[in-house]
Amino acid sequence: MIDTIATVERNLEPAKGYRLLTLNFNEEFQILPGQFAMLRAHNGYEPLLRRALAVYKQDSPGQLSFLYQVLGRGTEMLSLLGSGAKVDALLPLGNHWPVEECPRAIVVAGGVGSASVLMLCEQLKRLRVDTQIFFGAANERSALGCGIADFLALDLPLSTTTDDGSFGEHGLVTSPLERHLDEDTRTAVVYTCGPWAMMKRVAEISRLREVKCFASLEAPMGCGFGVCVGCVVAVNTDEPSGYGSYKRVCTDGSVFPADLIRWEVAAMSH
Amino acid sequence: MHDPRLAIEIAGIRFNNPVLGASGTFGYGLDMAELIDLNRLGGFCTKGLSARPLAGNPPARIVETHGGMLNAIGLQNIGARAFVEEKLPLLRQYDTRIIANVFGYSDDDYIEAIEILNDGADIAAYELNISCPNVKEGGIVIGNSAAAAARLTEKARRAAARPLIVKLSPNVTDISELARAIRDAGADALSLINTVVGMSIDVNTRKPRLNYGTGGLSGPAIRPIAVRMVYEVARVVSLPVIGIGGIASAMDALEFIIAGATAVQIGTANYYDPRVTMKVIDGLSEYCEHHQVDSIFSLVSSLRKE
Repeated sequence: MIDTIATVERNLEPAKGYRLLTLNFNEEFQILPGQFAMLRAHNGYEPLLRRALAVYKQDSPGQLSFLYQVLGRGTEMLSLLGSGAKVDALLPLGNHWPVEECPRAIVVAGGVGSASVLMLCEQLKRLRVDTQIFFGAANERSALGCGIADFLALDLPLSTTTDDGSFGEHGLVTSPLERHLDEDTRTAVVYTCGPWAMMKRVAEISRLREVKCFASLEAPMGCGFGVCVGCVVAVNTDEPSGYGSYKRVCTDGSVFPADLIRWEVAAMSH
Repeated sequence: MHDPRLAIEIAGIRFNNPVLGASGTFGYGLDMAELIDLNRLGGFCTKGLSARPLAGNPPARIVETHGGMLNAIGLQNIGARAFVEEKLPLLRQYDTRIIANVFGYSDDDYIEAIEILNDGADIAAYELNISCPNVKEGGIVIGNSAAAAARLTEKARRAAARPLIVKLSPNVTDISELARAIRDAGADALSLINTVVGMSIDVNTRKPRLNYGTGGLSGPAIRPIAVRMVYEVARVVSLPVIGIGGIASAMDALEFIIAGATAVQIGTANYYDPRVTMKVIDGLSEYCEHHQVDSIFSLVSSLRKE
C-alpha cells in the first residue's frame, strides 16, 4: 500500500453517466484482481474523503484504469479531471478474488460491479479455467458504460441481460444464472459483484445448489485502510458477546465468502 | 531526526513534538506503520478501549458532509486485554508515545479497563473518553454532567498508574465549568474537542443516513468551534490542553497552540491524507524557522489581543 500522486492519462465517457479514468504512476504495481484504490483530486478541498474505486484494468505496471458511474459529489469531481490533472491515490487496497481450487468459474457482474471482475476474467482465462460470464445491466447504454465491449473481447462464454430488454436477454441476470446452474451441475465457484439485492439473490441461488460463492462488496469508506471502521458489513459470528459481528469491507474484504455475509443487513443503499 | 524546537511536555511526559494521532482515526497505531514513520510522530491515542470487546453499531456508520463527516461507529474495539497482549508488544519497537483511550458504559467498566491497561508496559498515559456521542450509555452521558464527569475522573485518577487526560465533549452548555470540575477531580490534562452531535437525512427515504440516527461531526467544518473552546478552557484552567478538531495542516495546528493548546491531535484528516501528521510536523519546523521560534512551547497561549 502506498500513498502517491498519479497523473491523468485520459478520462473517457464510454456512455453517459459512466467514466473510464486512466492514471499514470511513477511506481510500478502488481495489482491482484479485485483490489481497489482510494482516489481524490489532488489539492482538492471538497469533497473531503477519497473515493474507493476498483482497479478495472492494468494497462502496464505503471498505468491503471478505473471504471466508475458518476453517482455523487466524489465521482462527479473525478469525472471533471482532464489529461494531466493530478490525483491523490492510495493503493493497492483490499484482498482479492480467490481463484485457487477453482475447477470451473461462473462470474456474475451487475451494473458497474463489472469494474471489479474484468481482471478476474482475464486471470481465469490465463489460468485456462472453464469460465462462464453473466453480465447484467439496466439497459444498452448502461451495458456500454459498464464495459460490455471489454468483456466481449475476452472471447469467453458470455450471456448478457438488460432490465428493459434493449440489449441481450430481457430480465435480471440471475435468471440465466439459475438456468445454467440447473443444467450444468459440475462443481463450480461463483464470483459476483453488483447491486446488493442482486448479490443477495446470487448468494441464495448458489447456497440452494451448494455452489461456493464469493462476493465483492461496496460500502461508503472513510479511509480505505482499516482505521475508521466505518465501512463494515454484518457477518455471522458465534461469539456470544457479539464481538466480530461486523467486518471491514476495506481490509477484511472487499471479497467475502457469500455465506459469511448477513445479507438481510444491507451495507449499501443500491 | 527530531527538531528540538518542537519538543513539549505534558503531565511529566516528554513528547518529541506536539503532533498526535487522534483516537478512532489511528487504529491501534500499527495500522498506520505502513504509511508513516511512527518514530517521527509525537504520539497517538488508541481506538477507544473497553474492558471487554465491543461489536459497534450496525451500518451505515459514516456519511460525508460538507467539510467533514458524521460517524456513529459505536466504539467497535478489540478490548483492553487484547490490546495489552497482542498490540503493545508490536508497538514497543517504535519511539513514540502511546496514549490508551479508555471507554466504558459505567464507572466500573472504565475502572476495569484501566486496571487491565495498568498491566501493559509502555503506555504513556490514559485518555478518558467521556464524550463519545454514539453509544447510549456511558460516554457522553457522563461527559454532559460536571458532577458525573468529576466523580468518574476522581475514581479513574485513583485507579490509573499513569497520567490521566480527560477528553471533553463540545455538546455542553458551558465547557469551562466542565473543565474546572474535572481539574478539581484530579485530571492531569484535558483534550478537546470530541465530535459535535449532528444528523443527516436522506430525503428520498426520509430516514437518517446513519443507522444510529445521529452521529459525531468531525473534520475541518468543526475547527473554529474547537479553537474557540480550547481558548475558553485554557483561559480558566491551568492544566495542559490538547487541541483537537479538524486539523489538516501546520497552520491549523498553530491556531490551537496559540489559542492555548500544548499539543494537538489530528483525526479525520488521516483518512483522506494518511501522511498528514508528517506534513504537520514538517510545517511546524518551517514555521519555527521562519518566525525564529526557539521552542514551540513559547507559542502556547500567545494570542495577541490587539
